[in-house]
Amino acid sequence: MTQRRRFLLLISSLAMIGYFGYTYMYKDHRDIKTEVSEIEIVAPYLLERFKNDDGNDLLNKTITVTGTITQVASKVITIDSNVHCSFATELTGVKNGDIIIIKGRCIGYDDLFEIVKLDQCTIIK
Amino acid sequence: MKFRKAIILILCFFPIVVISQGRYITKTGEINFEASVPSFEEVKAKNSNVSAILNSDNGEFATLALMKGFRFKVALMEEHFNENYIESSKFPKATFKGKLINFNLSALSEEAKEFVVVGEIKMHGIDKFVELPATLSIVNNTILMKLQFTLRPEDFNIEIPKIVSSKIAEEIDVIANYYLTKSN
Repeated sequence: MTQRRRFLLLISSLAMIGYFGYTYMYKDHRDIKTEVSEIEIVAPYLLERFKNDDGNDLLNKTITVTGTITQVASKVITIDSNVHCSFATELTGVKNGDIIIIKGRCIGYDDLFEIVKLDQCTIIK
Repeated sequence: MKFRKAIILILCFFPIVVISQGRYITKTGEINFEASVPSFEEVKAKNSNVSAILNSDNGEFATLALMKGFRFKVALMEEHFNENYIESSKFPKATFKGKLINFNLSALSEEAKEFVVVGEIKMHGIDKFVELPATLSIVNNTILMKLQFTLRPEDFNIEIPKIVSSKIAEEIDVIANYYLTKSN
């Protein structure tokens, strides 16, 4: 093998390592909006599962929650007083009493207020 | 005699003064932490869904942060935080329960007032007694409570591997902001 070919091989393998290393280190965040949800569940039942210690397998999963809106804050919708759904942007066009379907990432059970929290939510319907 | 009866009658019609339990709450408190080391990638995360309750009668304070709710700029860092360091599937939340010393709601004003809050942090399966400085102010019946302190991962049994230890600060700066509103 000539020295030149050896040099080219070295450079190209270094470039490959660099490329894969970089894409591994700086991979994109999950896009909850486009992920398929693992489960569709009504709000009171979701809370019930966490209260019975049966919710841990839902942590960090994309889930779809259905129910009636009981509170709307600037970036938060509360469903049936027991699921807290947070959005990245300000909410418009939703009000108390609306029936809603929301997809988001389940981040866990808050036993201070006895609610389940979701983040990165989007309204499905 | 007539006079006494009159007094009793008047007393009967006086409204009974009930000491109301004043609760100020939020479900969207913010906790930021930073463990950056100069000239390395910043190690910084934010959670905007932190719950807190302040009892304005006695200064009791409780807060809860779900660990999965901490968002990092770099996705891989978020993954390592959850899986290797804080082990958020095993320990999904961190809590603090304590009391503001010498708290008095009527002494609060628009100007930030300093307090000390003592209590226990529960995180990663470890309980630790702490005294933290806090500032409180009140505007339009909303209490703004700010906490700023440092924590050491080793106190909470969080081991930082040698290879990355130079890129993560030994002391982690934590800032918490709560806009607490009166609840009924």
